[in-house]
Amino acid sequence: MIGNPRLQRLARVDTHQLDQRGRYWRRLSGWSGWGRVGMCLGFFAIAMIYVPIALLALMSISQSPLSGIPYPLTLQHYGTLLSDGRWLLPLQKSVIMGVVVAFTCMLVATLVGRAITRMKRPGGVLIVSLIPLFVPGLTMGAALFIFLRTMLDLKLGLWSIFVAHMVWALPFALLLVLVVASRFDLRLLEAASDLGANNWQRFWQIEFPILRPGIMGAGIFGFLLSFNELLRSIFVRGQETTMPIYNWAMAASQQSQVPIIFALATIILLVTLPVMSIFFWLLFRKAG
Amino acid sequence: MAISTAAAPRRYRSLQLGRLGRLPIVIPGFLVVWSLMVVLPLLVVVAFSFFQVKYYKVVYQPSLDAWISLFTSGRWLVAVRTLRIALTMTAIELFLAFPFGLWLAKGCRSVPLKAFIITLLTIPFFLDPSSRTIVWRAILGSGGLINSGLMHLGVINAPIEWLLYSEFAVHFGMIGSYFPTMVFPIFMIMSLIDDEYLQASADLGASPGQTLVHVIMPLAIPGVMAGIIFTLVPLMAAFVEPQMLGGGFVNLLGDSVDSALRELKYPTAAALSTVVVAILAFCLLVLILMTRKRFDFANMFTATHR
Repeated sequence: MIGNPRLQRLARVDTHQLDQRGRYWRRLSGWSGWGRVGMCLGFFAIAMIYVPIALLALMSISQSPLSGIPYPLTLQHYGTLLSDGRWLLPLQKSVIMGVVVAFTCMLVATLVGRAITRMKRPGGVLIVSLIPLFVPGLTMGAALFIFLRTMLDLKLGLWSIFVAHMVWALPFALLLVLVVASRFDLRLLEAASDLGANNWQRFWQIEFPILRPGIMGAGIFGFLLSFNELLRSIFVRGQETTMPIYNWAMAASQQSQVPIIFALATIILLVTLPVMSIFFWLLFRKAG
Repeated sequence: MAISTAAAPRRYRSLQLGRLGRLPIVIPGFLVVWSLMVVLPLLVVVAFSFFQVKYYKVVYQPSLDAWISLFTSGRWLVAVRTLRIALTMTAIELFLAFPFGLWLAKGCRSVPLKAFIITLLTIPFFLDPSSRTIVWRAILGSGGLINSGLMHLGVINAPIEWLLYSEFAVHFGMIGSYFPTMVFPIFMIMSLIDDEYLQASADLGASPGQTLVHVIMPLAIPGVMAGIIFTLVPLMAAFVEPQMLGGGFVNLLGDSVDSALRELKYPTAAALSTVVVAILAFCLLVLILMTRKRFDFANMFTATHR
């Protein structure tokens, strides 16, 4: 079989064809511009995120925002916004809700995150705690509504919004704490005990300072995720209105309210964008 | 006396924390509360789809009414449309994110630029969805930026109507919103690929294309899969974009759930939600089966989370 001349010829034809194909493939794949193509694709997508945001700010100071033409410029929408005042209460509720969710996230994520890293087989607990990441927000909202309102017949309100926000924010907070806590060297705690620290000192003086970036991150994520949460809140809000619900209701139903929404969103962006930019910049520059 | 009163609370406190340190209650307690908040509602939804509503009250009798009405009322078409748009968008995002993730992880040498791009990609998670989406109306509308610009330049005489309130507008508005969830896992997995593998592949005579297909792609599968899941999941329940840019022409599952709940048709809403979860479970299963030979799932979680 080995000396079969036909086989050899087949093999020669094969390598020849391979060479031909390989040459084009090689030339194509060796082209130095592929990196730039990848970069441009991503910049296009990033532009799709930030062009609307920039236009939002521009439109908020233009006469007729929905026309898409910025001239003539005016500040009248901000005046209307200030004299309107209906948005103050939702904003206040969203801020308070965000702070409460943030602190609860920090506490629960720290307790559970520490516990998970000390488990022998954390897989099951981890998957259960991350389930909300795999369930669409709207489905989760509808599920909570049917469970709490229709089945248990409870009166929905801020507490149910809080539950929905926790369901959304806690998995992220937990992941952040886990990332830091899983790098934590447990021998440090043994060393602290050997040197005579009690459990309280061991936690506050050794463990907490090391976990602090993760815990702070959990708080910041908790606040921001809660502050902008819409899909779950819509269903479980009862009679309450948070900032994203207010924006959504105004944008969806009343065309005349759109300029005010633009102005309001711009103000919130002007406050939150610099804070977030600095925070993430510091975070990623350190990591990168 | 003074010493003992000061020491007692401290000992009590340290005892408490010592218990918390070993955590006999935290995990079970968390699991119970979490199950009540997350798992039970999801199970209740599936169960609810088999009940029926009479005189605006749920009757706890087994029934297939909700499921039958799903098909007779044509709502199943909505599920098919949602799946089609979600898969199209996932493919578009993957097409944009894979080359970009590779470039960001391996091609971008400047650390400040990398941090800047990652910052840009993180911020959108924390922006209000409706105000970001509503702006597209000002851009795509018949009197909007693109149409008036093109008319001003004389390219067209009448405004292009299909730019807004169409499936095109919904797709267009979604590109930016769902990009970060796709690019992050891909970028992370690409960063984890050791540069020496790529160098070794080149040293052994592989062209960049061969390195891509035989080295990078197999190693990147977990990240690509995570990206697909994290993009497909929210897309299946997209709500804001179809409502604000579809103008009532693009009815997706999210709107159907919402309107069913408004009409107090709880079993119908439950059945629709079940459909969403079932389709997602099916997609996950297909993805897992497709990649099982190349990649061990059990290791994905142990490897990344300790």
